[in-house]
Amino acid sequence: MKIVVNRPRCEGHGLCEEAAPQLMHLDDDGELVLDREEIGEADIPLANAAVRVCPVAALRVE
Amino acid sequence: MSTPIKRVVVVGNGIAGLTAADSLRESGFDGELTIVGDEPHAAYSRPALSKALLLDGDDVSSHELPPATHGADEILGVRASGLDVERRLVRLDDGAALPYDRLVIASGSRARRLSDLPEELTLRGLDDALSLRGRLAARPSVVVVGGGPLGMEIASGCLAAGCEVTLVSEGLPMTARLGPYLAGVFVRAALDRGLTIVESGAARLERHGGGARVVLNDGAVVEADLLVSAAGDVPNTEWLADTDLATEGGLRVDARGLVRPEIAAAGDVAAFPSPGGARRVPLWSSAIEQAKVAAAALVRGDETPPLRFQPYFWTEQFGLNLKAVGDLPVHGAPAYVEGGPGGPALMRWSHADGSGVAVALDYRIPIPRLRRLSRAGA
Repeated sequence: MKIVVNRPRCEGHGLCEEAAPQLMHLDDDGELVLDREEIGEADIPLANAAVRVCPVAALRVE
Repeated sequence: MSTPIKRVVVVGNGIAGLTAADSLRESGFDGELTIVGDEPHAAYSRPALSKALLLDGDDVSSHELPPATHGADEILGVRASGLDVERRLVRLDDGAALPYDRLVIASGSRARRLSDLPEELTLRGLDDALSLRGRLAARPSVVVVGGGPLGMEIASGCLAAGCEVTLVSEGLPMTARLGPYLAGVFVRAALDRGLTIVESGAARLERHGGGARVVLNDGAVVEADLLVSAAGDVPNTEWLADTDLATEGGLRVDARGLVRPEIAAAGDVAAFPSPGGARRVPLWSSAIEQAKVAAAALVRGDETPPLRFQPYFWTEQFGLNLKAVGDLPVHGAPAYVEGGPGGPALMRWSHADGSGVAVALDYRIPIPRLRRLSRAGA
Protein backbone atom coordinates (compact mmCIF):
# COMPACT_ATOMS: atom_id res chain seq x y z
CA MET A 1 0.00 0.00 0.00
CA LYS A 2 1.04 3.54 -0.64
CA ILE A 3 0.29 6.97 0.84
CA VAL A 4 -0.57 9.59 -1.77
CA VAL A 5 -0.68 13.35 -1.17
CA ASN A 6 -2.85 15.65 -3.24
CA ARG A 7 -0.52 18.67 -3.10
CA PRO A 8 -2.94 21.34 -4.36
CA ARG A 9 -5.44 20.37 -1.66
CA CYS A 10 -2.99 20.30 1.24
CA GLU A 11 -3.34 23.40 3.40
CA GLY A 12 -0.58 22.46 5.81
CA HIS A 13 -2.74 21.95 8.89
CA GLY A 14 -0.42 19.15 9.94
CA LEU A 15 -3.05 17.15 11.81
CA CYS A 16 -1.75 14.15 9.85
CA GLU A 17 1.69 14.57 11.41
CA GLU A 18 0.07 14.54 14.80
CA ALA A 19 -1.81 11.34 13.97
CA ALA A 20 1.10 9.52 12.33
CA PRO A 21 4.45 11.14 13.15
CA GLN A 22 6.21 7.88 12.18
CA LEU A 23 5.03 8.24 8.60
CA MET A 24 5.02 11.95 7.77
CA HIS A 25 5.95 15.43 8.90
CA LEU A 26 5.70 19.00 7.72
CA ASP A 27 8.98 20.70 6.90
CA ASP A 28 9.97 24.21 7.96
CA ASP A 29 7.97 25.69 5.09
CA GLY A 30 4.88 23.76 6.15
CA GLU A 31 5.11 21.37 3.18
CA LEU A 32 4.14 17.79 3.86
CA VAL A 33 6.97 15.28 3.61
CA LEU A 34 6.18 11.58 3.49
CA ASP A 35 8.93 9.83 5.42
CA ARG A 36 7.57 6.52 4.20
CA GLU A 37 5.48 6.32 1.08
CA GLU A 38 5.26 2.56 0.78
CA ILE A 39 3.68 1.06 3.86
CA GLY A 40 3.13 -2.47 5.09
CA GLU A 41 0.01 -4.05 6.57
CA ALA A 42 1.07 -3.09 10.10
CA ASP A 43 1.14 0.62 9.36
CA ILE A 44 -2.21 0.82 7.58
CA PRO A 45 -4.23 1.76 10.69
CA LEU A 46 -1.75 4.57 11.38
CA ALA A 47 -1.90 5.79 7.78
CA ASN A 48 -5.69 5.62 7.84
CA ALA A 49 -5.72 7.72 11.01
CA ALA A 50 -3.68 10.37 9.20
CA VAL A 51 -5.98 10.22 6.19
CA ARG A 52 -9.08 10.54 8.35
CA VAL A 53 -7.95 13.56 10.34
CA CYS A 54 -7.26 15.75 7.29
CA PRO A 55 -10.05 18.32 7.03
CA VAL A 56 -9.35 18.88 3.33
CA ALA A 57 -8.93 15.20 2.44
CA ALA A 58 -5.52 15.72 0.89
CA LEU A 59 -4.28 12.21 1.75
CA ARG A 60 -5.19 8.82 0.48
CA VAL A 61 -3.99 5.26 1.06
CA GLU A 62 -4.17 3.16 -2.06
CA MET B 1 -17.57 -5.44 30.97
CA SER B 2 -16.56 -9.08 30.59
CA THR B 3 -19.36 -10.04 28.19
CA PRO B 4 -18.14 -10.02 24.60
CA ILE B 5 -19.24 -7.06 22.51
CA LYS B 6 -21.11 -8.32 19.49
CA ARG B 7 -23.01 -5.31 18.23
CA VAL B 8 -22.14 -1.63 18.24
CA VAL B 9 -24.41 1.08 16.88
CA VAL B 10 -23.07 4.54 16.03
CA VAL B 11 -25.73 7.22 15.72
CA GLY B 12 -24.32 9.95 13.50
CA ASN B 13 -22.24 9.82 10.33
CA GLY B 14 -20.31 13.06 10.71
CA ILE B 15 -16.61 13.13 11.48
CA ALA B 16 -17.28 12.08 15.10
CA GLY B 17 -19.32 9.02 14.10
CA LEU B 18 -16.88 8.11 11.36
CA THR B 19 -13.85 8.45 13.64
CA ALA B 20 -15.60 6.46 16.36
CA ALA B 21 -16.29 3.65 13.89
CA ASP B 22 -12.66 3.62 12.72
CA SER B 23 -11.40 3.73 16.29
CA LEU B 24 -13.65 0.87 17.37
CA ARG B 25 -12.01 -1.28 14.70
CA GLU B 26 -8.54 -0.12 15.74
CA SER B 27 -9.39 -1.02 19.33
CA GLY B 28 -10.01 -4.56 18.19
CA PHE B 29 -13.79 -4.64 17.84
CA ASP B 30 -14.55 -6.95 14.93
CA GLY B 31 -18.25 -7.54 15.50
CA GLU B 32 -21.33 -6.12 13.83
CA LEU B 33 -21.06 -2.36 13.39
CA THR B 34 -23.92 -0.16 12.23
CA ILE B 35 -23.82 3.57 11.49
CA VAL B 36 -27.00 5.59 11.27
CA GLY B 37 -26.81 8.95 9.49
CA ASP B 38 -29.72 11.33 8.99
CA GLU B 39 -28.24 12.75 5.81
CA PRO B 40 -28.29 10.64 2.64
CA HIS B 41 -24.64 11.49 1.93
CA ALA B 42 -21.42 9.71 2.79
CA ALA B 43 -19.52 11.41 5.63
CA TYR B 44 -17.94 14.68 4.52
CA SER B 45 -15.81 17.51 5.87
CA ARG B 46 -18.14 20.09 7.40
CA PRO B 47 -15.49 22.84 7.73
CA ALA B 48 -15.14 22.91 3.93
CA LEU B 49 -18.82 23.77 3.41
CA SER B 50 -18.45 27.43 4.36
CA LYS B 51 -14.91 27.73 2.98
CA ALA B 52 -13.69 26.15 -0.26
CA LEU B 53 -17.08 24.75 -1.26
CA LEU B 54 -18.64 28.23 -1.39
CA LEU B 55 -15.64 29.56 -3.31
CA ASP B 56 -14.32 26.90 -5.68
CA GLY B 57 -15.24 27.54 -9.29
CA ASP B 58 -16.24 24.26 -10.84
CA ASP B 59 -14.78 22.12 -8.10
CA VAL B 60 -17.49 20.89 -5.78
CA SER B 61 -15.39 18.15 -4.20
CA SER B 62 -13.57 20.06 -1.46
CA HIS B 63 -15.80 18.53 1.24
CA GLU B 64 -15.31 14.93 0.11
CA LEU B 65 -13.53 12.52 2.42
CA PRO B 66 -11.84 9.27 1.40
CA PRO B 67 -14.19 6.26 1.40
CA ALA B 68 -14.81 4.72 4.82
CA THR B 69 -12.81 1.62 5.70
CA HIS B 70 -14.61 0.52 8.88
CA GLY B 71 -16.84 -1.95 7.09
CA ALA B 72 -19.95 -0.85 8.95
CA ASP B 73 -23.47 -1.35 7.77
CA GLU B 74 -24.44 2.22 6.90
CA ILE B 75 -28.07 3.27 7.25
CA LEU B 76 -28.21 6.71 5.65
CA GLY B 77 -31.06 9.17 5.26
CA VAL B 78 -32.68 7.77 8.39
CA ARG B 79 -32.92 9.51 11.74
CA ALA B 80 -32.67 7.97 15.19
CA SER B 81 -35.95 8.78 16.92
CA GLY B 82 -35.63 7.13 20.30
CA LEU B 83 -33.42 5.27 22.72
CA ASP B 84 -34.43 2.52 25.13
CA VAL B 85 -31.55 2.36 27.59
CA GLU B 86 -32.92 -0.64 29.52
CA ARG B 87 -33.54 -2.82 26.47
CA ARG B 88 -30.53 -1.42 24.61
CA LEU B 89 -32.43 -0.43 21.48
CA VAL B 90 -32.08 2.51 19.13
CA ARG B 91 -35.35 3.31 17.38
CA LEU B 92 -35.27 4.78 13.89
CA ASP B 93 -37.83 7.03 12.25
CA ASP B 94 -38.49 4.41 9.57
CA GLY B 95 -39.87 2.16 12.30
CA ALA B 96 -36.84 -0.10 12.65
CA ALA B 97 -35.12 -0.79 15.98
CA LEU B 98 -31.43 -1.59 16.29
CA PRO B 99 -30.22 -3.64 19.27
CA TYR B 100 -26.76 -2.87 20.62
CA ASP B 101 -24.25 -3.99 23.20
CA ARG B 102 -22.43 -0.66 22.97
CA LEU B 103 -23.70 2.63 21.59
CA VAL B 104 -21.92 5.74 20.31
CA ILE B 105 -24.04 8.87 20.26
CA ALA B 106 -22.65 11.29 17.69
CA SER B 107 -25.90 12.88 16.56
CA GLY B 108 -24.28 16.29 16.26
CA SER B 109 -26.02 19.60 16.31
CA ARG B 110 -28.08 21.71 13.98
CA ALA B 111 -28.26 25.38 13.12
CA ARG B 112 -29.98 27.56 15.70
CA ARG B 113 -32.70 29.30 13.72
CA LEU B 114 -33.97 32.80 14.44
CA SER B 115 -37.41 32.23 12.95
CA ASP B 116 -39.71 29.68 11.34
CA LEU B 117 -39.66 31.62 8.08
CA PRO B 118 -38.73 29.47 5.07
CA GLU B 119 -36.74 32.45 3.70
CA GLU B 120 -34.27 32.09 6.57
CA LEU B 121 -31.41 30.02 5.18
CA THR B 122 -28.80 28.37 7.35
CA LEU B 123 -25.57 26.58 6.50
CA ARG B 124 -25.01 23.43 8.45
CA GLY B 125 -25.21 20.45 6.12
CA LEU B 126 -24.02 19.65 2.62
CA ASP B 127 -27.44 20.25 1.09
CA ASP B 128 -27.55 23.72 2.68
CA ALA B 129 -24.16 24.56 1.21
CA LEU B 130 -24.96 23.30 -2.28
CA SER B 131 -28.28 25.16 -2.24
CA LEU B 132 -26.63 28.42 -1.13
CA ARG B 133 -23.91 27.97 -3.74
CA GLY B 134 -26.54 27.53 -6.42
CA ARG B 135 -28.43 30.65 -5.36
CA LEU B 136 -25.30 32.80 -5.39
CA ALA B 137 -24.90 32.26 -9.13
CA ALA B 138 -27.61 34.88 -9.75
CA ARG B 139 -25.68 37.37 -7.59
CA PRO B 140 -28.50 38.22 -5.20
CA SER B 141 -28.02 40.83 -2.50
CA VAL B 142 -27.40 38.99 0.78
CA VAL B 143 -27.88 39.78 4.44
CA VAL B 144 -26.07 37.50 6.86
CA VAL B 145 -27.20 37.57 10.49
CA GLY B 146 -24.42 36.49 12.85
CA GLY B 147 -20.91 37.87 13.28
CA GLY B 148 -19.15 34.68 14.34
CA PRO B 149 -16.73 32.70 12.18
CA LEU B 150 -19.49 30.93 10.24
CA GLY B 151 -21.39 34.15 9.46
CA MET B 152 -18.18 35.82 8.38
CA GLU B 153 -17.11 32.87 6.20
CA ILE B 154 -20.52 32.87 4.53
CA ALA B 155 -20.35 36.64 4.01
CA SER B 156 -16.86 36.24 2.55
CA GLY B 157 -18.03 33.54 0.14
CA CYS B 158 -21.05 35.59 -0.96
CA LEU B 159 -18.84 38.66 -1.57
CA ALA B 160 -16.40 36.56 -3.58
CA ALA B 161 -19.34 35.37 -5.69
CA GLY B 162 -20.00 39.01 -6.60
CA CYS B 163 -22.92 39.67 -4.28
CA GLU B 164 -23.58 42.81 -2.32
CA VAL B 165 -23.42 41.64 1.30
CA THR B 166 -24.52 43.09 4.62
CA LEU B 167 -23.54 41.39 7.84
CA VAL B 168 -25.59 42.01 10.99
CA SER B 169 -23.54 41.33 14.10
CA GLU B 170 -24.02 41.65 17.84
CA GLY B 171 -20.92 43.69 18.64
CA LEU B 172 -17.94 43.78 16.31
CA PRO B 173 -17.77 40.58 14.20
CA MET B 174 -15.40 37.84 15.38
CA THR B 175 -14.84 39.54 18.74
CA ALA B 176 -16.61 36.93 20.85
CA ARG B 177 -14.62 34.13 19.15
CA LEU B 178 -11.18 35.67 18.77
CA GLY B 179 -11.01 38.72 21.03
CA PRO B 180 -10.73 42.37 19.94
CA TYR B 181 -7.20 42.34 18.52
CA LEU B 182 -7.68 39.58 15.96
CA ALA B 183 -11.29 40.60 15.32
CA GLY B 184 -9.96 43.99 14.25
CA VAL B 185 -7.72 42.34 11.67
CA PHE B 186 -10.64 40.42 10.16
CA VAL B 187 -13.04 43.35 10.22
CA ARG B 188 -10.51 45.55 8.38
CA ALA B 189 -10.04 42.86 5.72
CA ALA B 190 -13.82 42.45 5.39
CA LEU B 191 -14.43 46.20 5.03
CA ASP B 192 -11.60 46.46 2.48
CA ARG B 193 -13.33 43.84 0.37
CA GLY B 194 -16.62 45.71 0.47
CA LEU B 195 -18.61 44.07 3.27
CA THR B 196 -21.21 46.29 4.93
CA ILE B 197 -21.24 45.63 8.67
CA VAL B 198 -24.22 46.61 10.82
CA GLU B 199 -23.80 46.27 14.55
CA SER B 200 -26.97 45.65 16.46
CA GLY B 201 -28.25 44.10 19.63
CA ALA B 202 -30.31 40.94 19.13
CA ALA B 203 -31.82 41.22 15.65
CA ARG B 204 -35.03 39.42 14.70
CA LEU B 205 -36.51 38.28 11.43
CA GLU B 206 -40.01 39.15 10.28
CA ARG B 207 -42.25 38.50 7.35
CA HIS B 208 -42.52 41.46 5.01
CA GLY B 209 -44.47 41.49 1.78
CA GLY B 210 -43.68 38.27 -0.01
CA GLY B 211 -40.36 37.74 1.77
CA ALA B 212 -38.54 38.25 5.02
CA ARG B 213 -36.37 40.98 6.47
CA VAL B 214 -34.12 41.67 9.42
CA VAL B 215 -35.26 44.04 12.14
CA LEU B 216 -32.48 45.50 14.27
CA ASN B 217 -32.92 46.24 17.95
CA ASP B 218 -33.31 49.96 17.21
CA GLY B 219 -36.16 49.24 14.82
CA ALA B 220 -34.18 49.79 11.61
CA VAL B 221 -34.63 47.13 8.95
CA VAL B 222 -32.24 45.42 6.55
CA GLU B 223 -33.64 43.81 3.41
CA ALA B 224 -31.92 41.69 0.80
CA ASP B 225 -32.77 39.06 -1.81
CA LEU B 226 -31.25 36.35 0.35
CA LEU B 227 -31.30 36.04 4.14
CA VAL B 228 -28.81 33.71 5.82
CA SER B 229 -28.49 33.29 9.56
CA ALA B 230 -25.48 31.91 11.43
CA ALA B 231 -26.51 32.11 15.06
CA GLY B 232 -24.85 29.10 16.60
CA ASP B 233 -25.90 25.49 16.95
CA VAL B 234 -28.25 23.37 19.04
CA PRO B 235 -27.29 19.81 20.06
CA ASN B 236 -29.50 17.09 18.59
CA THR B 237 -30.76 15.45 21.77
CA GLU B 238 -34.53 15.38 21.17
CA TRP B 239 -34.42 11.68 20.28
CA LEU B 240 -33.11 11.04 23.81
CA ALA B 241 -36.14 12.71 25.41
CA ASP B 242 -37.38 9.45 26.97
CA THR B 243 -34.08 8.91 28.74
CA ASP B 244 -32.54 10.97 31.53
CA LEU B 245 -29.28 11.30 29.63
CA ALA B 246 -29.47 14.66 27.90
CA THR B 247 -29.45 18.12 29.44
CA GLU B 248 -30.12 21.39 27.68
CA GLY B 249 -26.41 21.98 27.15
CA GLY B 250 -25.92 18.65 25.39
CA LEU B 251 -25.06 15.18 26.52
CA ARG B 252 -22.72 15.12 29.52
CA VAL B 253 -19.88 12.66 29.23
CA ASP B 254 -16.97 11.80 31.51
CA ALA B 255 -13.31 12.37 30.68
CA ARG B 256 -13.37 9.22 28.51
CA GLY B 257 -16.48 10.21 26.60
CA LEU B 258 -18.75 7.78 28.44
CA VAL B 259 -22.33 8.55 29.43
CA ARG B 260 -22.78 5.09 30.95
CA PRO B 261 -20.45 2.10 30.74
CA GLU B 262 -22.12 0.93 27.52
CA ILE B 263 -22.91 4.34 25.99
CA ALA B 264 -20.40 6.89 24.72
CA ALA B 265 -20.96 10.26 23.11
CA ALA B 266 -18.67 12.40 20.98
CA GLY B 267 -18.66 15.43 18.74
CA ASP B 268 -20.95 18.44 18.68
CA VAL B 269 -23.61 16.76 20.83
CA ALA B 270 -21.28 15.96 23.74
CA ALA B 271 -20.40 18.22 26.65
CA PHE B 272 -17.13 17.02 28.14
CA PRO B 273 -15.40 18.05 31.37
CA SER B 274 -13.10 21.05 31.14
CA PRO B 275 -11.59 23.36 33.76
CA GLY B 276 -14.55 25.72 33.34
CA GLY B 277 -17.16 22.93 33.66
CA ALA B 278 -18.82 20.66 31.10
CA ARG B 279 -18.80 22.23 27.67
CA ARG B 280 -19.42 21.46 24.05
CA VAL B 281 -16.59 22.31 21.68
CA PRO B 282 -18.14 21.99 18.21
CA LEU B 283 -14.91 21.93 16.20
CA TRP B 284 -13.42 19.43 13.75
CA SER B 285 -10.41 18.32 15.79
CA SER B 286 -12.48 18.29 18.97
CA ALA B 287 -14.91 15.81 17.38
CA ILE B 288 -12.03 13.59 16.26
CA GLU B 289 -10.19 13.58 19.59
CA GLN B 290 -13.40 12.93 21.53
CA ALA B 291 -14.44 10.10 19.19
CA LYS B 292 -11.10 8.32 19.47
CA VAL B 293 -11.17 8.31 23.25
CA ALA B 294 -14.87 7.44 23.47
CA ALA B 295 -14.57 4.47 21.10
CA ALA B 296 -11.52 3.12 22.92
CA ALA B 297 -13.29 3.53 26.26
CA LEU B 298 -16.30 1.52 25.06
CA VAL B 299 -14.02 -1.39 24.23
CA ARG B 300 -11.34 -1.09 26.91
CA GLY B 301 -13.02 0.87 29.70
CA ASP B 302 -10.83 2.54 32.31
CA GLU B 303 -7.58 1.44 30.65
CA THR B 304 -8.22 4.18 28.10
CA PRO B 305 -6.30 7.39 28.78
CA PRO B 306 -8.74 10.25 29.35
CA LEU B 307 -9.23 13.03 26.81
CA ARG B 308 -6.53 15.67 26.87
CA PHE B 309 -7.82 18.22 24.48
CA GLN B 310 -6.32 21.48 23.37
CA PRO B 311 -8.59 23.36 20.96
CA TYR B 312 -7.51 23.85 17.35
CA PHE B 313 -9.47 26.39 15.36
CA TRP B 314 -9.04 27.70 11.87
CA THR B 315 -10.90 30.03 9.55
CA GLU B 316 -10.52 31.32 6.02
CA GLN B 317 -12.27 34.53 5.08
CA PHE B 318 -11.71 37.77 3.17
CA GLY B 319 -8.35 36.53 1.91
CA LEU B 320 -7.06 35.79 5.42
CA ASN B 321 -6.18 32.40 6.83
CA LEU B 322 -5.97 31.94 10.59
CA LYS B 323 -4.95 28.92 12.63
CA ALA B 324 -5.10 28.97 16.41
CA VAL B 325 -4.16 26.56 19.16
CA GLY B 326 -5.36 27.16 22.72
CA ASP B 327 -8.36 28.76 24.36
CA LEU B 328 -9.87 31.66 22.46
CA PRO B 329 -10.72 34.54 22.74
CA VAL B 330 -7.50 36.37 23.57
CA HIS B 331 -7.22 39.81 25.06
CA GLY B 332 -4.63 42.52 24.61
CA ALA B 333 -1.87 42.70 22.01
CA PRO B 334 0.17 39.61 21.12
CA ALA B 335 3.85 38.90 21.33
CA TYR B 336 4.97 38.60 17.69
CA VAL B 337 7.11 35.50 17.22
CA GLU B 338 7.43 36.05 13.46
CA GLY B 339 6.22 38.89 11.26
CA GLY B 340 4.28 41.86 12.53
CA PRO B 341 1.01 43.79 12.32
CA GLY B 342 -0.48 44.05 8.85
CA GLY B 343 1.21 41.00 7.34
CA PRO B 344 1.78 37.28 7.77
CA ALA B 345 2.51 36.65 11.42
CA LEU B 346 3.01 34.12 14.15
CA MET B 347 1.66 35.42 17.44
CA ARG B 348 1.38 34.31 21.03
CA TRP B 349 -0.81 35.30 23.95
CA SER B 350 -0.72 34.17 27.58
CA HIS B 351 -3.85 33.75 29.68
CA ALA B 352 -3.92 34.63 33.36
CA ASP B 353 -3.98 30.91 34.27
CA GLY B 354 -0.63 30.41 32.55
CA SER B 355 -1.97 28.65 29.45
CA GLY B 356 -0.95 30.00 26.08
CA VAL B 357 -2.52 30.61 22.70
CA ALA B 358 -0.53 30.49 19.47
CA VAL B 359 -1.97 32.01 16.32
CA ALA B 360 -0.70 31.82 12.74
CA LEU B 361 -2.13 34.44 10.42
CA ASP B 362 -1.44 33.85 6.72
CA TYR B 363 1.52 31.86 7.99
CA ARG B 364 2.01 28.23 7.02
CA ILE B 365 2.95 26.23 10.09
CA PRO B 366 2.23 22.65 11.11
CA ILE B 367 -0.07 22.18 14.08
CA PRO B 368 2.50 20.31 16.17
CA ARG B 369 4.77 23.38 15.99
CA LEU B 370 1.89 25.69 16.74
CA ARG B 371 1.06 23.53 19.79
CA ARG B 372 4.62 23.70 21.03
CA LEU B 373 4.60 27.45 20.59
CA SER B 374 1.36 27.74 22.59
CA ARG B 375 3.02 25.89 25.46
CA ALA B 376 6.31 27.79 25.33
CA GLY B 377 6.85 30.41 28.03
CA ALA B 378 6.09 33.93 26.81
